[in-house]
Amino acid sequence: MTWQQSPHIQTFKLFALVVAVCLGSFYLISSVLIPVIISFTLYALFQPAVLYLVRHDLNHALSILIVLVLLVFASALMIGFALPALIEQVSLLQAKLPQIVKQLELLLTDYGHRLSERIGADLDVSEITLSVLSKSSSIGQAALIEVSNRLINFVIICILVPFLTYYLLKDFKRVRNDMMNWLPNSSFELGWLIYYNVSTQLQSYTRGVMLQSLIMATFCSIGFSIIGLDIPLLMGAITGLFNLVPYIGPIISIVLALLVGAAMTPLDPAVLYLSVVVIIGAQIFDNVVVIPSIVANAVNLHPVQAILGIIIFGSLFGTVGIILAVPAIAAGKIVFKNIYADMANASLRATPAGA
Amino acid sequence: MANVFWSNIFRKGDSELQVITQLWQHTPLFRDIPERHTRALCATMHLRDFKADEIIFTQGDQGAGAILVLDGEVRVSADKTELALLGNGDFFGEIALAAPERRTADARATTRSRLVYFLRQDLEEWIEHEPRLGARFLLNLSATLAQRLFAANKLIARQA
Repeated sequence: MTWQQSPHIQTFKLFALVVAVCLGSFYLISSVLIPVIISFTLYALFQPAVLYLVRHDLNHALSILIVLVLLVFASALMIGFALPALIEQVSLLQAKLPQIVKQLELLLTDYGHRLSERIGADLDVSEITLSVLSKSSSIGQAALIEVSNRLINFVIICILVPFLTYYLLKDFKRVRNDMMNWLPNSSFELGWLIYYNVSTQLQSYTRGVMLQSLIMATFCSIGFSIIGLDIPLLMGAITGLFNLVPYIGPIISIVLALLVGAAMTPLDPAVLYLSVVVIIGAQIFDNVVVIPSIVANAVNLHPVQAILGIIIFGSLFGTVGIILAVPAIAAGKIVFKNIYADMANASLRATPAGA
Repeated sequence: MANVFWSNIFRKGDSELQVITQLWQHTPLFRDIPERHTRALCATMHLRDFKADEIIFTQGDQGAGAILVLDGEVRVSADKTELALLGNGDFFGEIALAAPERRTADARATTRSRLVYFLRQDLEEWIEHEPRLGARFLLNLSATLAQRLFAANKLIARQA
């Protein structure tokens, strides 16, 4: 057996082909990638509800309609009640941004002076701080303006997502079966096994992570309200959202909460400490209660793999890459393992006994 | 009139679906399961065509489900010993419905054959739709596997 025929090389070749096909597909649908991801997430979330109704002798199409109508109704309620409050809090944050920057500037300059005194060197910290802060401030304001400008995209997503979700709930399995039938006989079972393992893991991961984010958002919103942090609802929602990014997300949440706390007038150090306590408390609750009962075993990744993956995916694909990094790496691991098991067995069968 | 271009060449025709339903209905796996439910499940199964002498699976492959011979002939063997020659209506590989185990024998089509794949994925989705019938099916599957185990034990005892 030559080295090119070794199962490792064969697996790498096939795996590279699978990755190339996936990246090509993502590139082709890049203009509608976000609505597609949201629709698949909703599909994973609401498919059990549709199955529940079908089990109670309701027609499949009617069950989907009922679930979607309930979803639209719940979204309308949320938009009606929560969105005005959230918009108000975003405006508040926008108004507070210069104050946050000023507060941070003061803190950093003070820290810089103390550092200069301690090491005895003449550091012009204020200039470095000003340059960094002016950049981050302009980036922050640009981001907020960008959010407002993306309203049209948001409307398109709102229209497209229910349609896509309806057709996914109605026809996804049929289309999937038709596509899988194009596999050659020799890879038919392997293809289905990989699909089965990946879809099972991704569905449980999606459901788990969404529920986990919701719990975290609720926990932090209540906590921030109790300690008297500004814009508690928005900060809770942001913390829940950042929780989608393992390991790095909670750290960003702490920094954001500290910045909002630092911008409060009069500055109350107790609020700063307590906001960190709320997030760490939420993380402990998450790790002790939520993860073991909801997300455990959904993905089996080492923390180093996850962090490196998030950084690499983030630099390659931006925000979408950061959110998709963990499920994508988990799916990649399953695909690689299954292909390798098949290649290794084929290689074992091809090697004559005693060779 | 149906558009030939857009129609799915893999999709089972009504008469073919009827034949597949009848064949599965006569196996011990579908004992006491009403025909209309079997038919609904059969509609999700996968038809594959094999050439004469084409390998279906080999020992050690990861199994994804059970296979029914719709048309043709299949030779099942292990370590070059023929275990069974299967014809229309026979099924094999049902262990993969119960557990993600590796195939324990080789299967090869001896003539041009048409096979129906009943995958564990199809079974799990059907059980989500029909939990009571799913429980019935799993009992039938356990009984079938127990019978095969009993037969294998008898064979080993005879050879010893």
